[in-house]
Amino acid sequence: MDSSSTKITFLPASIRDFFLEVDGISRFTGQFFKTVFKRPFEFSEVAKQSFIVGYKSLGLVTVTGFIMGLVLTIQSRPTLARFGAESWLPGMVAISIIREIGPVITALICAGKVGSGIGAELASMKVTEQIDAMEVAGTNPFRYLVVTRVLATLLMIPLLVIFADTVGLIGSYIGVNIMGDVGLRLYFSQAIEHLDFVDVFPAFIKTFFFGFAIGIIACYKGYTCNKGTEGVGLAANSAVVIGSLCVFIIDLIAVQLASFFM
Amino acid sequence: MKTEAGNKIRLGIFVSVAVGLFIVVIYFIGNGKHMFTKTFHINGTFKDLAGLQVGNNIRFTGMNVGTVSKVEIATDSTVRVDMVIEKHVQKFLKKDAIASIGSEGLMGNKVINLLPGSPGEPVIEDGGTLITVTPVSMDDIMKNLAVTSNNAALITADISTLTTNIRNGHGAVGKLFMDSSFALSLGKTMVNVQHAAGGFSDNMTALKHNVLLRPYYKKKEVEAAKARKDSIRDKR
Repeated sequence: MDSSSTKITFLPASIRDFFLEVDGISRFTGQFFKTVFKRPFEFSEVAKQSFIVGYKSLGLVTVTGFIMGLVLTIQSRPTLARFGAESWLPGMVAISIIREIGPVITALICAGKVGSGIGAELASMKVTEQIDAMEVAGTNPFRYLVVTRVLATLLMIPLLVIFADTVGLIGSYIGVNIMGDVGLRLYFSQAIEHLDFVDVFPAFIKTFFFGFAIGIIACYKGYTCNKGTEGVGLAANSAVVIGSLCVFIIDLIAVQLASFFM
Repeated sequence: MKTEAGNKIRLGIFVSVAVGLFIVVIYFIGNGKHMFTKTFHINGTFKDLAGLQVGNNIRFTGMNVGTVSKVEIATDSTVRVDMVIEKHVQKFLKKDAIASIGSEGLMGNKVINLLPGSPGEPVIEDGGTLITVTPVSMDDIMKNLAVTSNNAALITADISTLTTNIRNGHGAVGKLFMDSSFALSLGKTMVNVQHAAGGFSDNMTALKHNVLLRPYYKKKEVEAAKARKDSIRDKR
């Protein structure tokens, strides 16, 4: 890899590093897809990682979702009230939360909490040569460490988004009732009335991509760490930064694709 | 070992609740789109859809009872709209039911409003065609408004000219309002007219007693008395 990179001298080092990183992540993703469908499947490890990624992030995600719904409602209310369109508040907040804010905020929280955790864990295993020891012991470390974690983020982030959306709507309901008086049933019927399948499904599908990107980048950064103990912090940091950036890029692509099919 | 089993149970509950919530949302959205209720299909042909789209609501007595399922151009000047309506509404819609395109508000979506039709008519069947009313488009309203405002502009211009002329003392009315000597002379004229009218009245009284004209006035009095008697008899 180094010999090929030194040959391309007309590019600045930072751009060369960027392309090397893209190449590394692409190969890593390819290796994931080669391994994921091969036996043996590590179901219990996937369940364990799902518990860590999903259940243990639930508190953080629901609190954020609640605040998100409440704040969005309180902030939007004066503008809608100026047009006498306060009855549109539940529908507007529901569409905002379900289509965009819920998935993106949840993915960013997970990129921070889960991505840094996976990156640091795998990096410290790498620098303490535990991954090499697993290989020597005849265990496939990629299958056991990477595939299980990526599957966990892939499956759990969509579920966390569902919780965040639901709690966000409850927060919005409370936000509506701080200034006015709307029944729970009326609020949810107004919110659901404005929702369509094209609001829910593209938003739900993109969360799988968010989960996959967060998992694969965090695992790549940790698994390929090679700068000793300093590299552990670096891996955790870059897992969060690149993971968050990927969330926004995927969101941009998803919005374009969704508007193309709508 | 015990903790691991507990974690698995917690994870199971977490996944089940999330999937359950997702299914509930899908159910409610589908219910709103009348996917889980018994429905029947009707259609109508409009000259102008005024922005109506597939998925817009159909209202009957102000209630959402269906959605627009398909919109297609039927001829070069008409558009056919297929509608899915909840089955329980069918018995209220007669064959001469009327569909008109309305709006949810100034900024709202378009809706189709259904009127039930005559009570004696049979119920509309599945696949039946409704009578439609072409909606008054915003463009038409704006065109009419433009004509009205042009007329208003002309009228106000005329009024302005008129008041300017009056203020400057032009014309009879202007002189009446602004010229004090004219008003004085008009007052004198009115006094003269009053005198002349008094003289005319005396002349007429004298004429009634004239030998030549007395039979004529006598005949008039008899006719008037007869008409009075007839009207009293008719009233009885």
